[in-house]
Amino acid sequence: MSQPSAKERRLVRDLVSHYEKNRRTFASFLVSLHEQITSSGKLTPHIHSIKSRTKEPSHLEDKLYRKLAEAKERNRRFTLTKDNLFLKVNDLAGLRILHLNTDQLPLIAKGLDDLFEEESYMRFEKPSARTWDDESRALLSGMGFTIKSRPSRPSFYTSIHYVIKPNKKTQYTCEIQVRTLMEEVWAEVDHTLNYPHRTPILACSEQLAALARATSTCSRLVDSIFRSHVDLARPAGRTRNAGK
Amino acid sequence: MADSSPSKRHKARRIAIYNHKGGVGKTTLTVNIAYALTELGKKVLLVDSDPQCNLTSYLIDASVVDDMLDSSETSKGKTLWSAIKPVADGMGEARLIEPAEINQLFLLPGDILLSKFEQDLYHFWSESFLRRVRGYRGTAALSALVNEVAAKHEIDYVFYDSGPNIGPLNRAILLDCDYFIVPAACDAFSIRAFKTLGQTLADWVRDWSTAISLAPDNVYLLPGRPVMMGYIPQRFRVYADDVAASYSAFLSRIDKRISADVGATLRAVDKSLAPLEYQSRLGLVKDFGRLATLGQEQGLPIWDVGNTYENERYKTIFHGIAKKIIGRAH
Repeated sequence: MSQPSAKERRLVRDLVSHYEKNRRTFASFLVSLHEQITSSGKLTPHIHSIKSRTKEPSHLEDKLYRKLAEAKERNRRFTLTKDNLFLKVNDLAGLRILHLNTDQLPLIAKGLDDLFEEESYMRFEKPSARTWDDESRALLSGMGFTIKSRPSRPSFYTSIHYVIKPNKKTQYTCEIQVRTLMEEVWAEVDHTLNYPHRTPILACSEQLAALARATSTCSRLVDSIFRSHVDLARPAGRTRNAGK
Repeated sequence: MADSSPSKRHKARRIAIYNHKGGVGKTTLTVNIAYALTELGKKVLLVDSDPQCNLTSYLIDASVVDDMLDSSETSKGKTLWSAIKPVADGMGEARLIEPAEINQLFLLPGDILLSKFEQDLYHFWSESFLRRVRGYRGTAALSALVNEVAAKHEIDYVFYDSGPNIGPLNRAILLDCDYFIVPAACDAFSIRAFKTLGQTLADWVRDWSTAISLAPDNVYLLPGRPVMMGYIPQRFRVYADDVAASYSAFLSRIDKRISADVGATLRAVDKSLAPLEYQSRLGLVKDFGRLATLGQEQGLPIWDVGNTYENERYKTIFHGIAKKIIGRAH
């Protein structure tokens, strides 16, 4: 990757400082959203925990340099400006909902839909899912999520993404991710190794790929445990089909 | 009240003559400017949002004010507290009250109990940052009431009279105003106070813009953009043998410090909050002396209570200020 020019460095610096000036608005956005989710009776029974953060300015800086480099590589114009930064980079405010098993996902999705409706949030884009697992893909597209894949950077990342806005006029957005605790473990290990730069150690990449399969297996197992738990707690003769 | 969340803000220009420093003649200036505007054919609504009720006492007889305050919590209450109490009690929207009419001025009378609302406003403010509609509504309750009264009586100018502090009530008032005017006294304490005044207003505007950008659509919001319209130095003593030294030095310090400490601080947030052409005096008012007391006693403009020479002089000064206000409040 070629070194960024003085002009490019100035542009990145301006964009990062624009974000820094507005960071506390993103922070307020997160505080209010966090509070609304934790006080929603429809959501809390299905949620294990919530994490939220505003992006570290240095991480934004890395991201902007990466985007600059990508644009150059592909001979495209770098189009980010102060006017569109907040609309084009949607993870400046990020909130993550962690849950235990896959059967909770439709309930959380419904709870979020209702919350957005009641609290008049606007959806900035259709909720989407990222997954590498065929079985998950079938389940998620069945629930109406757009499946996004990034051929440029194959990954074992599995998560649901929402991007919302407080009102029509504002440029501030917040990304909400929903994933299981199992997927969170995989993603955290991946993040530590591959962010902001991919690990050069082949063995680690291979082990991460294996961990993704193990994660998928564990998720299946957790789901099965809960389904058995629910089934066995019912009166005899009403066991549901385990092969579902 | 039919609709305390009006989608449309009435066109009346809302102005506060505001300085958190006490004893700078806010109330006397407010009443006399309002009178001057009515004499120029404008309809003016005065909102006595100072729990000390000085403005109300200026315009209404003491015994009548006492009766008003005694009955303000009843269903017949006529003060601002009577209107706002349902909001403070969490019982919904403000109750529409009829303004008192005094010599062609409209007045929403003040109330000592309004200080109770300060506490509620403090909570409403925090709730607004949690994006709760209750918070936005509560913060704008007084504004919504003024909106309704202004629309009903086709008001041209609304003046808020405020207490000498930087509490939540004044914050809600200033964020509701289209303009503010700084009364400035010619003394060192008053000049030193400009710094806190500028900083406080800048913080309020900045904080509220965060709340606005997070607010759901279709919620009535305080506009949060009080524009500095100018300032009025007054209460300088004119000593027979030392006229130039006693106040021309103070006046030039006031000119300088107001631009630096209020104007520039606001311009750092947003240039349009303190247009350079408005960073100037709207007029000069000498110490009212005995006329202030006479005016207060009779509830009249000070140019109706002095001798012919004084009356002519003050009428000219206040009509001049009123014309400038009309010119700047477009």
